[in-house]
Amino acid sequence: MATYLEFIQQNEERDGVRFSWNVWPSSRLEATRMVVPLACLLTPLKERPDLPPVQYEPVLCSRPTCKAILNPLCQVDYRAKLWACNFCFQRNQFPPAYAGISEVNQPAELMPQFSTIEYVIQRGAPSPLIFLYVVDTCLEDDDLQALKESLQMSLSLLPPDALVGLITFGRMVQVHELSCEGISKSYVFRGTKDLTAKQIQDMLGLTKPAMPVQPMRPAQPQERPSVSSRFLQPIHKIDMNLTDLLGELQRDPWPVPQGKRPLRSTGVALSIAVGLLEGTFPNTGARIMLFTGGPPTQGPGMVVGDELKVPIRSWHDIEKDNARFMKKATKHYEMLANRTAANGHCIDIYACALDQTGLLEMKCCPNLTGGYMVMGDSFNTSLFKQTFQRIFSKDFNGNFRMAFGATLEVKTSRELKVAGAIGPCVSLNVKGPCVSENELGVGGTSQWKICGLDPTTTLGIYFEVVNQHNAPIPQGGRGAIQFVTHYQHSSTQRRIRVTTVARNWADVQSQLKHIEAAFDQEAAAVLMARLGVFRAETEEGPDVLRWLDRQLIRLCQKFGQYNKEDPMSFRLSDSFSLYPQFMFHLRRSPFLQVFNNSPDESSYYRHHFARQDLTQSLIMIQPILYSYSFHGPPEPVLLDSSSILADRILLMDTFFQIVIYLGETIAQWRKAGYQDMPEYENFKHLLQAPLDDAQEILQARFPMPRYIHTEHGGSQARFLLSKVNPSQTHNNLYAWGQETGAPILTDDVSLQVFMDHLKKLAVSSAC
Amino acid sequence: MAELYVKPGNTERGWNDPPQFSYGLQTQAGGPKRSPLTKRVAAPQDGSPRVPTSETSPGLPPMGPPPPSSKASRPPQFVGSCPPSRTEPMDSPVVESETLLEDVLRPLERALEDCRGHIKKQVCDDISRRLALLQEQWAGGKLSMPVKKRMALLVQELSSHQWDAADDIHRSLMVDHVTEVSQWMVGVKRLIAVKRSLFSEEEANEEKSIATAEQNQTVPGIQHDL
Repeated sequence: MATYLEFIQQNEERDGVRFSWNVWPSSRLEATRMVVPLACLLTPLKERPDLPPVQYEPVLCSRPTCKAILNPLCQVDYRAKLWACNFCFQRNQFPPAYAGISEVNQPAELMPQFSTIEYVIQRGAPSPLIFLYVVDTCLEDDDLQALKESLQMSLSLLPPDALVGLITFGRMVQVHELSCEGISKSYVFRGTKDLTAKQIQDMLGLTKPAMPVQPMRPAQPQERPSVSSRFLQPIHKIDMNLTDLLGELQRDPWPVPQGKRPLRSTGVALSIAVGLLEGTFPNTGARIMLFTGGPPTQGPGMVVGDELKVPIRSWHDIEKDNARFMKKATKHYEMLANRTAANGHCIDIYACALDQTGLLEMKCCPNLTGGYMVMGDSFNTSLFKQTFQRIFSKDFNGNFRMAFGATLEVKTSRELKVAGAIGPCVSLNVKGPCVSENELGVGGTSQWKICGLDPTTTLGIYFEVVNQHNAPIPQGGRGAIQFVTHYQHSSTQRRIRVTTVARNWADVQSQLKHIEAAFDQEAAAVLMARLGVFRAETEEGPDVLRWLDRQLIRLCQKFGQYNKEDPMSFRLSDSFSLYPQFMFHLRRSPFLQVFNNSPDESSYYRHHFARQDLTQSLIMIQPILYSYSFHGPPEPVLLDSSSILADRILLMDTFFQIVIYLGETIAQWRKAGYQDMPEYENFKHLLQAPLDDAQEILQARFPMPRYIHTEHGGSQARFLLSKVNPSQTHNNLYAWGQETGAPILTDDVSLQVFMDHLKKLAVSSAC
Repeated sequence: MAELYVKPGNTERGWNDPPQFSYGLQTQAGGPKRSPLTKRVAAPQDGSPRVPTSETSPGLPPMGPPPPSSKASRPPQFVGSCPPSRTEPMDSPVVESETLLEDVLRPLERALEDCRGHIKKQVCDDISRRLALLQEQWAGGKLSMPVKKRMALLVQELSSHQWDAADDIHRSLMVDHVTEVSQWMVGVKRLIAVKRSLFSEEEANEEKSIATAEQNQTVPGIQHDL
C-alpha cells in the first residue's frame, strides 16, 4: 500500500478532491471530537487531459429521492442485468442499450479508474456564449485608451459565434445598439433612478416580439436572437463596427467641477445589464463584465458622494458605523447578484483605480455568481491587460477554460449528511434525505449553483457523520459521496461530470491511529481557513481568531502526545506537524486581519481565497520562500527572519505578490557590477535564477500578481519582512548573541511564542 | 513561431506592475515545464528557527560586509562548474530584412476581390477601408518592424490556405501590438474568416462533384476533436 501522501495526491489528480480526513470516524459523537470537520475541497472541473468525455447520458438510480448515477462502487449482476445503487441499495434494471454488458465488457462508468467521468448531453439546442461589456467612461484619457484597446483585443480572443453587447456609463447609462449598418444608435438612461427588470425590458423594446406567442410552434431558440439582436450580436458579424464603436468612445462629457468626483452610475448600469440578459437569455451561459475606474457616486448602489473632501469609507468608519452608504449599496448589489445567479449568469468586476472603487459593496456580484474580481491601479498596466487576456485562455484541446451555469449536487451514503459549501456559489435550496440540519457555510441544501467556473474553481464542502455511537461500523465498511456537476462547456455543449468517492470507516476507540495517519493537514488548514473567512464576513475579527485558536487547542489536546501539565513533553505526529504553523500564518494573513488593508483590498483577497484550489490557497495562507546561493540549487527555506541572510537571494510567493529580495552582500556585489565581469559569470547566473523562476510563476498565475524586486534596506523589503515569522525582533536580538538573519521591528508574536502558549494550553487540564 | 519576449510592466501607472509576456509565451504549451516551487520547510515543533547550516562559506564573511572593492568580499569566481540557473536564455538571432508593403497588401486585396459577390457589398467596402488604413499607416512609417514581418507571415499562411495559422498570427498581433493594429486588423480578421468559409464551401462542392475514391481529404476549418 502506498503512503497516505501518495494516496492523497492520486485522488486529487484523478477526482479533484482533497478530504480533511481520509479514514472516517464511524459515529457522530466521535466525529465531533475530531475538531476538524469531515470536509473536502472539490475542484469540480479539474483539468483531466487523459479523460475524454463519453458521448452518452448517465444511467440514474430509479428511486425518485435518490437518482444517484451508476458508478464503479455499484454492485452489478451481469446475468440478470441488474445493478444495486450504492447509496440507497435500490436494485435497478439496466437500460436496453446495456444489454451486451458482461464482466469482460463493461461500460466505462463501471471501471474503477473512472471514479470521475464526464458525459456529453446531446439533447437541447446549443446556445451561444454571451459577453456583455459594461464600461465606465469616467476615466483618464490614458486609462480609457488602454481599456478600449484591451476590449478591441478581446474581440479577437472570443469565440467567433459568441454574442457581445456594450453598455457604457458615466453620469448617464447608454445601451448601444449593434448593427452592421454603420449607424450607431443607443438608448440613454438616467443614472439616478433604479428601474425594475420589467421597466428596463419595456424601454429597450425587448418584450414586444415575445408577446405574440405562436401556439403552433414550441419556442425555438433561434427566435430569441431576433428579440435581442439589436443589443447582442454574434462577434463575427459586428466585429468591425464594434471595433469602431469602441475606438470612438469618449470620456464622459459631463464637466466635473473642481473638488468633485465624476458622477458614476455603476448601480444603474449594472442593473440594466442584469435586466437585459434576464429578459433575453435566462439560463444561458453569459458574462457581464464590468470595467470601472472609480466608486459609484450616484443613484442606487452609490458608495460615496461626489465631494472629494469626503473620503470613501475605511475600516475605521465601518467599525464606528460611519459608512453612510454601505448598507444600502450592499443591498442593491446583493439584489442584483441574486437575480443574476437565478438567471444563471455571472458578473466580473475589473476595477482599476488608485483609490477604492466600492468592491466591498459590490463583492457579492462576483462572489455569488462565480465571476472574477480583478483589482489594479490602472487599465494601462500589464497587471490588468494580462489578467484580462487570461480570462480567455484555452486548454490543451483548444477549448476555452471558462464554463458556465453549473449546478453541483452532492449525494451521500446514509451515515453521512452534507452540511454546507463555501465557494463562489449560491444555494439552490434543495432539501433531501442527505441534507444536514447543522449548517457549515451555505447549507440547508444538497445542490448549489455556480454560474461561472473554470478548471481551478474549488469549493469547500462540509459533511456531518450521523451514524449513532452504539451502531456498528456501517455496512460495507465504507462511506460514499457522489458529486454531480451539470454545466455548460465553452463549446456550448451541456455536460455532466460525475465523481464518486469512498473512504473507510474506522472505530475511533480501536483505530484512532489509522484515522490520525490519514489526516490531510493541508486540506484541513484550507477548509478551516475557509470557515474562518466565511465567519469573518459577518462576525468581529477577534471573535473569529478566538474561534480558530480554540479549535487549534482542542485539536492539539486530542492528537498531541504529552504528559498532563508538562508542555515540554508535547509532540505532534507527522501528519499534524505542519498544522499549527498554518494556523499561525493564517492568523496574520489579510484574510483575517484588516489592519493595513482597505475594505476593498480585504474583499479582493477574500474573494480569491474562496475560489482557488488547495495549492494556491495554501500559498495564500503560508507564502512560499526559496533561497538562492552559491552553495547549491535553490532550496525552500523557513518562512522566518532567520532565512534572510546577506549572501542569499530570496524568492517569496504570496499568491498576490512575487517578491525577489537580494541579501546585503549580494546587493553590494550587484552594485559593484560583478555580474558584468566574465570571471564572475556565475554571479550573473545567480542573479538570473530567481528571475527565471519568478517568470514561471507569473506565466501561470491568475490573476497576475504584483512583482517586487527589492534588496536589503529597500523600502519594499517590507513585503518580505511583514510575512516572515519574526523570530528575531528588536526585543530579543541581543539575547541571541549572534547576528544571523534579519531582526524585524515588530511586537507581533513569533511562532515560537505562539507554540509555547499552544503547548501550555494543550497540556493544561483546565481547558 | 510567434514572438517570444517579456517586456517590463508599466511602473509609471501601476505600482509594482509585473512584466508583460508576449502572446507566444502565454499560449506556449508543453514547453520545458519545471517543477513548480511549492515546497515548504516545516518549522521544528518548538517553533524556533533552525540555525542555518550553510550560513558561512570560506571567503564570505557573513556579517559587516566590507566594501565590495575589498578583496575579502567577492562572489566566488566562475570555475566552469554548473551555474545554479536552471534555464538558458531564449534569444534567437534576428535577421533583418525589409518587408515590402506591396507583398502584404496585394495578396490581401486579391483575397478581397475573391470574396466580392459572395458577401454583402457593405462588408467588402468596410474591409477595403481598413486595408486602405493599413496601407496609409505602413506608408506613413507608423508600423513597427515586428508588425510588418508578422503581417508578411500572415499573408503567406493565408495564401496557402492555413486558416488556423493565419488566424493565430492575427491574434498574436492583436495581443502584442494592439495599439498599432487595432483599427485595421479587424478587417484582416474578417477576410480570413470569409476566405475560410468560401474555401470550405468550394471544397465541399468539389468533393460532391468529383466522387472519386480519394478519401480522408481533411477539410481545413473543421477542428479535430479528441
